Amino acid sequence: MKFSPSLFEVNGLNFERQGNLVLKGATFRILPGEYCAIIGPNGGGKTTLVRLLLGLEKATSGEIKLFGVPQKRFRDWNRIGYVPQRSALVDSTFPATVREVVAMGRYARRGILGFESAEDKESILEAMELMGVADLSDRLIGNLSGGQRQRVMIARALASKPDVLIVDEPNTGVDVESQHRFYELLRILNRTKKMSILFITHDIGVIAEDITRVLFVNQTLLVSQNPAEMTRCDEMSRLYGTPAHVVSHNH
Amino acid sequence: MIYEMLDYPFMQRAFIAGLMIAILASLSGSFIVLRRYSLLSETLAHVSLVGVSVGLLLGMSPLWMAVLASLAASWMIEYLRSVHGMYSDSVLAIFLSGSLALAIVIVSMAGSFNASLFSYLFGSILSVSTEDLWVMGIFGSLAMVLLLAFFKELYFIAFDEDVARAGGIRVTLLNFMLVSVIAVIIALSIRVVGTLLIGALMVIPPVAAIRFGMGFYPTTLLSIAIALISVVIGLSASYLFSLPSGAAIVLCLLIIFIIALLVNRR
Repeated sequence: MKFSPSLFEVNGLNFERQGNLVLKGATFRILPGEYCAIIGPNGGGKTTLVRLLLGLEKATSGEIKLFGVPQKRFRDWNRIGYVPQRSALVDSTFPATVREVVAMGRYARRGILGFESAEDKESILEAMELMGVADLSDRLIGNLSGGQRQRVMIARALASKPDVLIVDEPNTGVDVESQHRFYELLRILNRTKKMSILFITHDIGVIAEDITRVLFVNQTLLVSQNPAEMTRCDEMSRLYGTPAHVVSHNH
Repeated sequence: MIYEMLDYPFMQRAFIAGLMIAILASLSGSFIVLRRYSLLSETLAHVSLVGVSVGLLLGMSPLWMAVLASLAASWMIEYLRSVHGMYSDSVLAIFLSGSLALAIVIVSMAGSFNASLFSYLFGSILSVSTEDLWVMGIFGSLAMVLLLAFFKELYFIAFDEDVARAGGIRVTLLNFMLVSVIAVIIALSIRVVGTLLIGALMVIPPVAAIRFGMGFYPTTLLSIAIALISVVIGLSASYLFSLPSGAAIVLCLLIIFIIALLVNRR
């Protein structure tokens, strides 16, 4: 039997910022193929947790393994696609076409002085077509709408052919229709392309039917493999400490 | 007239140095402009002046001393910004005023090299020696190789530093490399453009090119073309009208920038 390691394995993770505890004793695993929602109140440590996984912040203590490899020795960063918070809010004058931005997703694979290979070109085109931005290829990123920019940023993450996609509250400045298209796309990526997804969101009701695991982060971490129970209004209200309403949507 | 001008060895040296600097300054300048770090060139130029002053005071090569001072300052600036998390503009302001103060003190201590210092401040086509050309050729080639080798990574970092880092690009190392390359380019430029004006050759070409609303690669090529045209016209004007070369080059850049603004009123 082929052994398939966890995508992420986190043990006793602590993180302090300027003496203040942000994350305490986080322990969890994410398995291949999972669709995991990370929820919690603002300032609870959701983004910090993702940044710790990606090595953008240094943990105070604890252990992180990526694809079974300790984070310090991990080199295959192109296996992880990352779409950060507010990524759609780019400088409107930045000289970058849609294709140039999507091509960035391949840079880590190309190495020093590496020119674009046929495989690079194919992956870039495939990612643009999947996200429906191929016809915008030569347009400047700053001239696009919020929804279009969001799709370009996801195309960039997908261009590296990642095993897992991490998306951090990507819907800032994006219209409702684009948001629904976005949720549908995540579902397709997870179900059809078998891509694992870690999704930081406040809008858990929209994806309640798709998710396989919920991480509730509010300094400490609560892991649930029973999303249906976790997304009940009374449970959410208890966790957030304030009346919460979960709005579910039909796909 | 042009052929006559190029008959003079000092003009040949000035043109070779000027064209080399135009390519290097505008290429590296694209990255600092996009990262809103334009004041870096101005600050390192002032630090170079400290090196020049020390060199003139101690009878050592002002060019070498400028390279050393500029490199040391670039590393300290990047260290304070990236490791200590200090605001970029604050760090640059401290180094800019601090280095100018230090240069003024050194100049006033010596007192006797003001005429020589003038050429370092504003550039002089008469001052480029064959030895300077060799130094520029060696360090300029090295800077060019590094910029081209890591061109796409530097572009990614300028666009989104966090995502570049998350993608496995060695952002900290490349940031140190970029400021080092810029430090060397600035120090090498002072013979032709002068310490007080090199910032313009780094910043104005990319800013003018960005106005044309193209992708990064065509923008970079246009930026280099703008720098080359300005250097050729500026050096020629410097020869014909006995103007300081740096000032003539910067005025050409300004004219092109104004044209870019008028053509692309977005």
